[in-house]
Amino acid sequence: MKTIAYFDASHDFPEEILMAAGFVPYKIFGDVHKSNEPADRYLQAFFCPAARSFLTEALARSGEWDGIVIAQGCNSTNRHHDVWKRHVTTPFLYWFNGPSKDDAIALRFMKTECWRLIDALDRQFRTPVTPEKLAEANRESNAIKRKLQALSKLRGEKDITNREYLDILIKSMQMPKKEVSAEIDSLIKKVDARGPFPSNKKKMLLTGSDVTYPELMDQLDEVGFRIVRDDLSVGERYFATLIPEEGDPLEALARYYLTIPKPSTKVGVRKRIQYLEQALSESGLDTVVSQNLKFCEPFAYDAPLVNGELKDKGYRVLHLEREFTPGPDNQLINRLSAFSEML
Amino acid sequence: MNSKNNESRIENEQIRINTLPHARSIKWPMLWYLFVGQLYTLLPWKKTAWTCAGFPIELLWGFDIFPLHPENMATVAAAQKQSQRLIEHAESMGYSRDLCSYCKTNLGAVDTGIKTTLGGIAKPDIITCTNTICDTHWKWFQIQAERLKVPFFMFDCPKIVSGTDERTIEGYINYMVEQFYEFFEFVKKHTGRELNIEKMIRASDDSELMSSIWRDIYECRKRVPSPYSSAETSASFFPLVVLPGKKVGIKFFEKIRGDIRKRVERGEGTLSIGTERYRILFEGIPFWYRMRFMYDLARYRAVVTYEPYTYSFAPPKPISKNYSESLREVARIMMDLPYSYNLEKRIQYFEQAIKDYSIDGVVLHENLSCRPSSTGMIDLKNAIQDDLGIPVLIIQCDMNDPRAYSEAQMKTRIESFIELMEKNRHG
Ligand code: SF4
Ligand code: SF4
Repeated sequence: MKTIAYFDASHDFPEEILMAAGFVPYKIFGDVHKSNEPADRYLQAFFCPAARSFLTEALARSGEWDGIVIAQGCNSTNRHHDVWKRHVTTPFLYWFNGPSKDDAIALRFMKTECWRLIDALDRQFRTPVTPEKLAEANRESNAIKRKLQALSKLRGEKDITNREYLDILIKSMQMPKKEVSAEIDSLIKKVDARGPFPSNKKKMLLTGSDVTYPELMDQLDEVGFRIVRDDLSVGERYFATLIPEEGDPLEALARYYLTIPKPSTKVGVRKRIQYLEQALSESGLDTVVSQNLKFCEPFAYDAPLVNGELKDKGYRVLHLEREFTPGPDNQLINRLSAFSEML
Repeated sequence: MNSKNNESRIENEQIRINTLPHARSIKWPMLWYLFVGQLYTLLPWKKTAWTCAGFPIELLWGFDIFPLHPENMATVAAAQKQSQRLIEHAESMGYSRDLCSYCKTNLGAVDTGIKTTLGGIAKPDIITCTNTICDTHWKWFQIQAERLKVPFFMFDCPKIVSGTDERTIEGYINYMVEQFYEFFEFVKKHTGRELNIEKMIRASDDSELMSSIWRDIYECRKRVPSPYSSAETSASFFPLVVLPGKKVGIKFFEKIRGDIRKRVERGEGTLSIGTERYRILFEGIPFWYRMRFMYDLARYRAVVTYEPYTYSFAPPKPISKNYSESLREVARIMMDLPYSYNLEKRIQYFEQAIKDYSIDGVVLHENLSCRPSSTGMIDLKNAIQDDLGIPVLIIQCDMNDPRAYSEAQMKTRIESFIELMEKNRHG
C-alpha cells in the first residue's frame, strides 16, 4: 500500500485525509537506538533530539514513502521544514499549516488548510477525496479510537505494562488501520485474561513531552509506576475524543482537531490544566509524573505553571527533564525511586 | 601562518571605533520611553500592553496604548549586569536552563520586582504577541499573562516556508486579517479603547519615515570605509523597536544620519582612515552583557558593516493606504520578517547583502537561547561559502546569559577567523 509519512509535533495532522486519499499514514518517530549523526550534519545538537531523530529516519527511509507531510506544531516542525526540503529526497514534501488557536476564525482556517491538502494530493497523485471517502476515513479512525479508549480504561484495572500501551499507540499511528484494529482486539483479549492491577505498582498520570520509545516506559515500570492516565499525543490525546460522524465530514474533522485535549504547542494552557485536573479527579489519582525531553521548549515553558497549579490543588507532582536515550538514565531512575518512596 | 608576523591580524589595542558626535543622544529617546511608559502605567485612564518583536506597534498607537517591551527591558538588565542573577532566579522557579534567556530575565525581573532602570517592567493592562518568530514569544507571554492575571492575545501567523506559493500566502493573509478584527474586539473588551484609524495610519506613516532614515543610514554603510558599525547600531536602533514613528526617535535618527553623511563626504570611516581591512556581516542578537565585543573587533581592523538583526526592524511600512489595504500589508510584513524568513529566502538575502556591503566574512551567532534563528545556520554557512567563497564563522553563545560567554575561547575563534579572511584575500 502507498504510504505517506508525516512529522507531527503533537496530534495536529489530520491523517484521515491521507486515509481518504488511499494512503497509509505513517507518523515518523525516529529511532532512539540509532545515532543522530546524519541529521546532526544539518541540525545542531542543542535542537530537540526527537526532531533530529525524525530527520535521521527521513534521510534513510524517504525512498520507501510516497511523500512526506510536515504539520505546523512547534519551532522544530516550523523551522526544520526547510532543512528537510534541502536534504530529504521525496517527490512530495508538503507543509500543512494547522492553526495554533481554536476559535471560529481558526476553524475556518483549518478547513481551508484541509482543502489545500486535499487539492495538493489530488494534483500530485490523482487521488480525489470525496465527502463519502472522508466520512468513511473518519469512521475508520473513530473505530480505532474507540478500541483504544476501551484498552485505556483497563489500564487502571488490569495488568497492562507501560510498554504495551505505548507500543500499541505507535502501531496505531504507523500501521494500516485494519491491521492495527486486529492487534488492539488481541491485546484487549490478552489483558482481559490477566489478573487485576498489580498490587506492587503505583498508579499515576504521565504528562509532558511525547514519549516515542518504550525503554522509558520500562524504566517507569521498573521503579513501580504504572501510567493509568496521560495527556500525551502518543497517548490519550490521540483517542480521548471522537470525530463527529454527522454533518459535513471536513467540518467535523477540522472541529475535532481543534478541540482535542490541548498540547503545549497550542494556545490554551488553561484548557490543558483543566484536562489534567479532570483526568486526575475522575480516576481518583493523586500522583503526576511530568517530564520534558531536553530541548523540547513548549513543554518546558509550561511545566512550572502547570505543575505548580497541580501541586497547589494537593496533587503530588514530580518533574523530570530527560535525555533522548534508550539506556538507563540513572539520574532519572534515582529521582523516580525517591519520589516513589516518598509516596 | 605565523600570527605575530602578519601585521594585518595583530591585535592592536590602539585601534578604536570613532563614535559619532551624536551617539550619546540615544539617551533622550530612551529616557522618553521610560518616562512616558511610567506615566502610562501610573495614570489610571492610560493603558499599556506588553508586546514583542514582530508585532505591529503602530496598531497599539492607534488605540493610544503604550507598548512595553519585555525583550528590550531584558537587554537593559543585561547591559546593567543584572541578567545573570535574574536568569538564575527564574531557573530556581523551575525554568529550564535551556530556555530563552530573554524570557528568563523577564520572569526573574517580574518575580523580584527589580527597578525599570535595571531592566524591570510594569504590569500591563493587556499582553499581546505573535508566534511569527518563535514559540518563545507566545509561550513566555502566555505564562506571564496567567501569572499576572492579564488578558492575553496572540496573533497566529502562518509560516511561509520555502516554496510557499503566492496563492497560499494570500490565504494566510486572509486568516491574519480576520485576526485583526478579533484583536480590535479584544482590546475594546479589556481596555475600553476603540481603534482610531487615522491615528493608526499616521503612526504607520511616521513609522515608515523613521524606518526610511534607518535604511538611508544602511545605504551609507555600503561605503568603504564604513562610516558606522554595529558597535553603535546595536544601541542606536532601539527607537525602531520601542518607539517606531515617535518624533523623539526620528530626531535622533536625523542627527545620526547627518553625522554619517558628513563622514561619507569626508571619506572617513568609523575606523581612522586607512585602518579598515575586514568588513563583517554579523548575524544574530549581540551579547548585551558584553557589548565591548563589537568594539574589540576594531583591534583586528575589522568592522561589522551589516547586521540583519538591526536592519530587520525597519521594513518598508504601508503608507497612505486605505485601511483594509494597510491591514493586508501589515499581515504580510508580520509573516515575512527577515527574522522569520524561510531558508531559501534567507540565503538569497544574505548573499545579496554580502555583495552590497562588500563583506569579507560572515559571523553567525548560533544562539543557545534561540533555536529558531539558529535553525538552518549550517546550510546558510555552507551556501555562502560555496556560492561566494568567503569565510563563515559560527560562534555558539547567548545574547543575555553571560554564563555562555568565554573570553578566551571567543578570542581564539575570532583570531582564526581574521586569519581566514586574510588568507582568502590572497586567494
Ligand atoms: S519533542 Fe517537543 S520540540 Fe520536539 S518535536 Fe515534539 S513538541 Fe517539538
Ligand atoms: S531570542 Fe529567539 S527565542 Fe528568544 S524571544 Fe528572541 S527570537 Fe524568541
